[in-house]
Amino acid sequence: MSNSATVSSKTWAGGRSPFNVSYGKLMMWVFLLSDAFTFSSLLVGYGAIRFSYSGSSTPWPDPSAIFNHFPFAHGYYLPLLFVSLMTFILIFSSVTMVLAVEAGHRKSKAEVSKYMIYTIIGGAAFLGCQAWEWTQFIHEGGRLDTNNFGITAQGYEHLKEAGKFGNHFEWMAGDRQPGPVPFASLFFIVTGFHGFHVLSGVVINIIIWLNVIYGTYERRGHYEMVEKVGLYWHFVDLVWVFVFTFYYLI
Amino acid sequence: MSNEHHHAAEGEYIPETYIPHPETHGTKTLWRVFFILLFITVIDFAIYFIAPAGLSRNIVFIALGLVKAVLIVGIFMHLNYEAKFLRWMIALPAAVFISYLAWLLLLEGSFVSTY
Repeated sequence: MSNSATVSSKTWAGGRSPFNVSYGKLMMWVFLLSDAFTFSSLLVGYGAIRFSYSGSSTPWPDPSAIFNHFPFAHGYYLPLLFVSLMTFILIFSSVTMVLAVEAGHRKSKAEVSKYMIYTIIGGAAFLGCQAWEWTQFIHEGGRLDTNNFGITAQGYEHLKEAGKFGNHFEWMAGDRQPGPVPFASLFFIVTGFHGFHVLSGVVINIIIWLNVIYGTYERRGHYEMVEKVGLYWHFVDLVWVFVFTFYYLI
Repeated sequence: MSNEHHHAAEGEYIPETYIPHPETHGTKTLWRVFFILLFITVIDFAIYFIAPAGLSRNIVFIALGLVKAVLIVGIFMHLNYEAKFLRWMIALPAAVFISYLAWLLLLEGSFVSTY
């Protein structure tokens, strides 16, 4: 290897990884790039369909008119609070994931295991929240092919009067009519597709955690698998940032 | 390479098994990013109730979302510290194609009518 210095000075001349990552991690990045295109297509499609309802007699409903519930506070008008809690849970599980990766660099098996457990709990808590949110929406009549939230002018007037943050709020007769169906179907499709990613992330995290406690990576000499699943987990968090922005904020 | 029982020398590159030596940056930055993300989410929440709905509020929400995205991808996913070619291979196609999709939506969106 007397000529190694001259070879490694040329990035694409062979004898070294131009991307300076392992094969598996490179492929994880490529997969995540393709997944980013999938989610951006879904969100752009959502935007196009939502935009097409502007000026309609059954306008696109205001998200805060629908997603304003919080567990154990039935009947109170608390828009955005529950999804903010979900965002917090996912950000927290992201930081524990990256702490597990960092502990893996130091080959500290106990710490990797601890932070992986926190991440798994965070993911499961997020899924629980999403299940509650879906149950609430289905309970109020949201279906893949039905949307009860075409809020009438009277409904918005009522919401403006009584819908103060923390107030008691119930819909009255005439406040709602059947509204744009894509609102409900896209809610299930986009949050469902994201939730399915979270579910697979939790399952993969559990598998990796089992390998950690069985000592697979200790024997292998590195914790690179934790980094790979970490990339996937952070991507799930990244997608939620945009689902949160385009579904609940805008 | 004529020796069939050749073993990988220290530092020799074998694509299938190559693992770069991990570099640690400590946990301080990670916690700082966590608190910035949390802070931005609180700001989002506040703006939602303070500012009236409209285009300028939406632009602020999207800008804050992009800041969060840059922090997650750059620090949590470690892309800031990766090799130059990897950074561009991921960032460039994502930026080009997603902004192209968004631009098409803005350009063509008003011609679509489903009601």
